[in-house]
Amino acid sequence: MPGRAAIVGVGQTYHTSKRDDVNLPEMVGEAVRAALADAQLSIKDIEAFIFSNMEAFEGILLPEHGMIAEVGATGKPGLKVTGGGTTGSEAVGEGCHMISAGLYDITMVISWQKHDCGDATAGISAAAVPTFAKGMVTGAVSEFAKQALSYMKESGAREEHAAMVRLKADRGACRNPYSHLKLGLKSVDEVLQSPYLVWPIRLYDFCPQSCGACVLVLASEKRAKKIHKKPVWVADFEVVHQEPFRAGSFGDPTGTETYSQHVAIERLYKRNGITNVRKQVDLAEIYEPSSWEEISLYEHFHFCEKNEGWKLIEKGVTEIEGEFPVNPSGGVLATNPIGATPVIRIAEAALQIRGDASEHQATRDIKTAIATALGGPNWTAMFLLKRS
Amino acid sequence: MAEGSPTKKPEQPEYIRIKFDLPRPYHWSTGRYLGKLYAEAKENKRLMANRCPKCKEIRVHAPTPVCPKCKVDMGWDWVELPQTGTVFQYTYQVYPLWDPHEGRRCSNPHPPAIILLDNGVYLRHLLEETDTKKLKEGMRVQAVWEEDYDKRGQGFQDILYFRTIEE
Repeated sequence: MPGRAAIVGVGQTYHTSKRDDVNLPEMVGEAVRAALADAQLSIKDIEAFIFSNMEAFEGILLPEHGMIAEVGATGKPGLKVTGGGTTGSEAVGEGCHMISAGLYDITMVISWQKHDCGDATAGISAAAVPTFAKGMVTGAVSEFAKQALSYMKESGAREEHAAMVRLKADRGACRNPYSHLKLGLKSVDEVLQSPYLVWPIRLYDFCPQSCGACVLVLASEKRAKKIHKKPVWVADFEVVHQEPFRAGSFGDPTGTETYSQHVAIERLYKRNGITNVRKQVDLAEIYEPSSWEEISLYEHFHFCEKNEGWKLIEKGVTEIEGEFPVNPSGGVLATNPIGATPVIRIAEAALQIRGDASEHQATRDIKTAIATALGGPNWTAMFLLKRS
Repeated sequence: MAEGSPTKKPEQPEYIRIKFDLPRPYHWSTGRYLGKLYAEAKENKRLMANRCPKCKEIRVHAPTPVCPKCKVDMGWDWVELPQTGTVFQYTYQVYPLWDPHEGRRCSNPHPPAIILLDNGVYLRHLLEETDTKKLKEGMRVQAVWEEDYDKRGQGFQDILYFRTIEE
């Protein structure tokens, strides 16, 4: 990639269901200050800003109102990116594009969701175009339920395997100071006692709605090493579109396969000579809205053969101490401020490469990581991060 | 904190509750292709889909002017979808989520399903049968339409659900 960009500053808020103590700009301001402190820069050093969230999920028009002043972006060049679940990755992509194009040396990506102002399912079912999910009061949950049913049928996985994914996520979340749900779960049985939302998706099989923000400072090759002693390089990325409805198109009735994931993976791996992911990449932070989706993504991202994803979780391969850690942060199952969720994946992967993930730092040395995102209308985003 | 008493719990913040119970109609342009789907459903209780001239795939959710796979102009090749099919997969809601149209917790008793229509096309819709013990894959079902003409005009939702049929 011409003119690579590096991550030189990472900032997050803590995540929770309600932030009555701050308004939207104030909450975002916390993450901006944290990122600037990490990069040891002043807001005056930032040359351009990219703002990113999903407006319908908060139900607030122009949420950046008041935020521009709060974060110190007044009069600076910028963009606002609003997509589906991949919103945050698209914003990071834009920040990298600006740097690669030589327009700026330092950009800041600001992503957030303040879910105590609104409701994601309400946004999906009420505000989407009438042919997309209107009247479906189950929102995204029933889509993942259908996908889970198909996966169980095809692969022989059982509900216990989804429970193991939540246990792994919870162990990570309890060690991550920024994560939202810290359930302290002890056993598979405990997870299997949680009630069904939409059969066979249990309450503990699904992600929460969180309030929180995540901010990245990106810098050019020229500046990165001078700013941070451990810059993390965005070696490559790929963002691919598809279209509404995971299922019913491209011969895939239930959405166990997603066209955009296959395309994104093929391109990213081919360009970077990746033929054996688990050997050539050290860690993954993936976007798993449900525990079943995590198992499914292991296969889509070629961490294992088809229908063998559940064996990875059974053998503990993807645990923090494992051979190929996946989501040591606790992932989306624990923390989900939707607009910021993909940016947290990238931020957490970067912290792992730096060795700065504190309590939830993976046991093995992480030099290379992938961070992914997915979202309606079936976009897939994939980032490849490297230490050098 | 409450005055003078360090042991007293802090006061809970006061939430403003607004109840929405007025209809909120809105204007939405279907365009030429979707318009065909909406008009055929409202006027003739027919479910239409268009077909790509190149790959011959039938676009169900929803008709589009361009084939996403071949990236060619779809032309004007329409297929009437059969109104009977087989339940390929179903799920059902256990815990009520938000009903955004009412602004309150609401449960939809009708199980969402993927129905394999008799021409081999998959349609996502609801089932009439709410007793989960009676649901099974492979069940034969038929579309039940909204009979009130004035209430139709909702595209796919002009079909209320699919009813179990004996054959």
